Amino acid sequence: MSTSQLVFFGLAFATLFSAVLVIAARNPINSAMSLVATFLFLAAIYAQLLAHTIAVLQVLVYAGAIMVLFLFVIMLLSLTHLGDPTPPPALHQVVGGVAAVAVLAGLVVAIWRWHEMAPVGRAREGLLRFGTLEQVGGLLYTRWLLPFEAVSLLLLVAMVGAVVVAKPRI
Amino acid sequence: MDTTWLTKAWANPQALSANLWLIIALPAFGALVCGVFGRALGRTYVNLVACASVLASFCLSVFAFQAVAADPSVIVTPAANGVPMRFALSGDWGVWFQAGSFSAHLGLWVDHLSATMLMVVTGVGFLIHLYSTAYMEHDAGYWRFFAYLNLFMASMLTLVLADNLVLLFVGWEGVGLCSYLLIGFWYTDAANAWAGRKAFIANRVGDCAFLLAMMLLVLTVTAFAKAPGTEPPAVFFAQRRAVWTHAATSEPGPLNFKVLEEFAQYMPANLAMGSRGMLGTDIPIGPLAGHTYGHTLTLVFLLMLLGAAGKSAQLPLYVWLPDAMAGPTPVSALIHAATMVTAGVYLLCRMAPLLVMSPAAMATVAVVGALTALYAALIAFAQDDLKKVLAYSTISQLGYMFLGVGVGFFWGAILHLVTHACFKGCLFLSAGSVMHGNDNEVNIKKLGGLRKEMPWTTACFGIATLAITGIIPLSGFFSKDDILHGALHARLVGYEWVGPTVFAIGSLGALCTAFYMSRAYLLAFTGERSKDAKVPHAHESGWVIVAPLVILAALSIALISHGFPGLLKMPNGEPETLMEAFLKPVFGVADRLAIEAHSLLPEAERSPWPGFGIALLLAWAGGGAAWYLYKRVFPARAGKPAPEVFAAVRAFTVHKFYVDELYDAVLVRPIKLLSIGLFRVVDEGLIDTVLVGGTAWVTARIGSLLRYLQTGDVQAYAAMMAVGLLAGVGYAIFEALAK
Amino acid sequence: MQISPVDTQNYLLLAATLFCTGMLGVLVRRNALVVFMSIELMLNAANLTFLAAARERLDATGHLAALFVIAVAAAEAAIGLAIVIAVFRNRGTVNVEDIRTMKY
Repeated sequence: MSTSQLVFFGLAFATLFSAVLVIAARNPINSAMSLVATFLFLAAIYAQLLAHTIAVLQVLVYAGAIMVLFLFVIMLLSLTHLGDPTPPPALHQVVGGVAAVAVLAGLVVAIWRWHEMAPVGRAREGLLRFGTLEQVGGLLYTRWLLPFEAVSLLLLVAMVGAVVVAKPRI
Repeated sequence: MDTTWLTKAWANPQALSANLWLIIALPAFGALVCGVFGRALGRTYVNLVACASVLASFCLSVFAFQAVAADPSVIVTPAANGVPMRFALSGDWGVWFQAGSFSAHLGLWVDHLSATMLMVVTGVGFLIHLYSTAYMEHDAGYWRFFAYLNLFMASMLTLVLADNLVLLFVGWEGVGLCSYLLIGFWYTDAANAWAGRKAFIANRVGDCAFLLAMMLLVLTVTAFAKAPGTEPPAVFFAQRRAVWTHAATSEPGPLNFKVLEEFAQYMPANLAMGSRGMLGTDIPIGPLAGHTYGHTLTLVFLLMLLGAAGKSAQLPLYVWLPDAMAGPTPVSALIHAATMVTAGVYLLCRMAPLLVMSPAAMATVAVVGALTALYAALIAFAQDDLKKVLAYSTISQLGYMFLGVGVGFFWGAILHLVTHACFKGCLFLSAGSVMHGNDNEVNIKKLGGLRKEMPWTTACFGIATLAITGIIPLSGFFSKDDILHGALHARLVGYEWVGPTVFAIGSLGALCTAFYMSRAYLLAFTGERSKDAKVPHAHESGWVIVAPLVILAALSIALISHGFPGLLKMPNGEPETLMEAFLKPVFGVADRLAIEAHSLLPEAERSPWPGFGIALLLAWAGGGAAWYLYKRVFPARAGKPAPEVFAAVRAFTVHKFYVDELYDAVLVRPIKLLSIGLFRVVDEGLIDTVLVGGTAWVTARIGSLLRYLQTGDVQAYAAMMAVGLLAGVGYAIFEALAK
Repeated sequence: MQISPVDTQNYLLLAATLFCTGMLGVLVRRNALVVFMSIELMLNAANLTFLAAARERLDATGHLAALFVIAVAAAEAAIGLAIVIAVFRNRGTVNVEDIRTMKY
């Protein structure tokens, strides 16, 4: 087992552990902090996947901006109290939980059986540039310019929408 | 004098061919403008648009007519197949629709026949548009009126210009629609709306037959083209240059007139197959297999006759035309006298090369025409409504045209169509002028003495009356009596009795025509003013109304030139009229095929003059009888009740022989009862309650059960989505494993 | 420069597990905020798939897809949290079980 494999399995374990904490923690603050951890571990995995730009963006946008938003809302609404004891799960929760686990099983089977996966690991041309800001930016501002601008418009609309929805009176 | 400009086309035929669609599009555009923007544009502009579009159409038609008429290639007879070539403008705008091997093109053409019709439709149409601007000047619905009238022109021109039966049918239905709209123009009066509906439904019966005829014809022609053993279809459908046109299409579909004419050429050929050629042989393939071509064509033309009878108001479908007088008078003149009702005659003449294949169908056409001519004339005897008299007279005159078609005297029928359009248009417009000046009074017994008050109208009505009566220096004389002369000398093989019989009936009808037309003229225009008149003094109409009258009256006189026998000589020295010579390129084929198919044999040409003498005598006798009765006998007997026999006969005639009542009892009531039964059981019971109500009931019950699935809990919905996702994943894995 | 010898399969398995963890959170947690966080987990699982495939094919278009997902997630978080605030202001709770007015 090579170093990078060891690193990957360590990161994967940490990611999954913190992800489980997100949905298991009773206190939303704990959930949010676990989520930050998950995002950071994921950023590392992204970097290992040669997606350097996305890894940086993951840290900046997800672990930074979005999570600050979450924490801010939790604080604003004083949702830190643990609340009443959890009522017994409803039928749909049981069904949904079972379905989620079953889907996971199905996906694992499907991926396991995917034999055609080409082994990777040998050096290739252009690997040095792969996933760099230069390459991603080049693509973004040439072929994908229109979707990029559309996304900027989407963000603007979301911003205005958030203000309109959250304000008590307009 | 230099006359080369007469024998040379004024406009480039290619350019004309490419722009034939404009003749239809201009009035259609006018209809659009008048119908959509008419109210906003105001009266002056609506009048301008409506008249200008038709005038432009008329000018184009003149060029097209001149190009067709002036082309020197008309009389060329190539030795190759003995078919006289003829010249036609023709434009093709591609395939309109296609279904299997059937296709219909958007094709227009102008040959000698449609050129003649073009002149009638646009010429008379323009005069009547002009007239209407004055006639409708106080009507609030003027824009609607002109929109309909322009739409009618567009439809009628489609009918006339179409180069295949399918497109012709579009025009055919279009004029039917406009007729319906215009009969019911003053729809606030329920009687008018009912009259419109009656016309529409009577026409539906005919249209249904027409459609069936077309379908049969498609089957027949297609079977012939595809049958093994006949000449290759490619040769059949490609043009054999029987018609010389500027735009040739390789495969114009089985209902194209050129193809049908070509088809007709094959029918009598190949006499080895029996004395009647292909007509006696069985159709080899297709749904009609086992029936002979001859029998199928007879059936086709009997159905087509029923269709034509619906549109052209012949027995037994004539009942709608008298009621159609509910519409404005210009409409009666344009649609119900001059143009639309002649569509049936045009259709049968258009099909002439095939029609002559079936002596049985021709005999039926002739007998129906003759009976209608006499029958309608008899009803017209006792009508007091001036427009009703003219309506029955129209039915009667259309009967003469059918008679002419039936005895293979096609050019005579077309000539009568043209002259009839002029003098009957003139009569109707004069009647309109009379109504205009007499507060819409139409009862001829309540008019009288108009000669002094409306001199122009009287003169025009008088000329047109003389024309329809058949007095010698007027066009009606030759057009009608040419037909009767032709009937007497026509020999339909197997139906030899038809010619003389229809001649006798037709002559009797001519006598009646002279009587009732003279009666209408004498009662309405001469003598003293009636005491029951609505207005004490009538006033002459303005020049916009009078000018079309005068033009049409002048044409009624001038058109005699085309029926005058002996102006031209045929190559074999027999006399020939101008109209016969002009339409020879169209009907020459039919005449030749009739002889080849051994269905219609010409007799040695006899001098028409003795027959004309008899006809003139009959006309004078009818007119004289009317004059004697209404000027001498009845005024002298005034105040005394009529003898009972005559009163009964009169009542019988006034009630139109009780045909409406008969139809009502035999057809309308049973159908109504059946419909009510169907409505109650099938519609209300089965469809409304069981199907519609039942579907709604079941849906509502299921919905009220299923709504409990809508818990409003977003997680429950998400759970369902997860189950769906699971199903998708499971299916994908199952599929992969199954491979 | 070498690609690490970790198989793409492993990344996909990780992504699948992450996705289903998020799904489980969406389906069983009652706190709207935690539901939102679980959705973020699912989005990240999708991102991971994109990036793994991008490396597999050496095609940076997958990176762009991930970029757009991040942008959309930001928009979604902003709007979603605004809704949570509005709901909390009106009803005093963020428990999804208590917010079920759109029922039969």
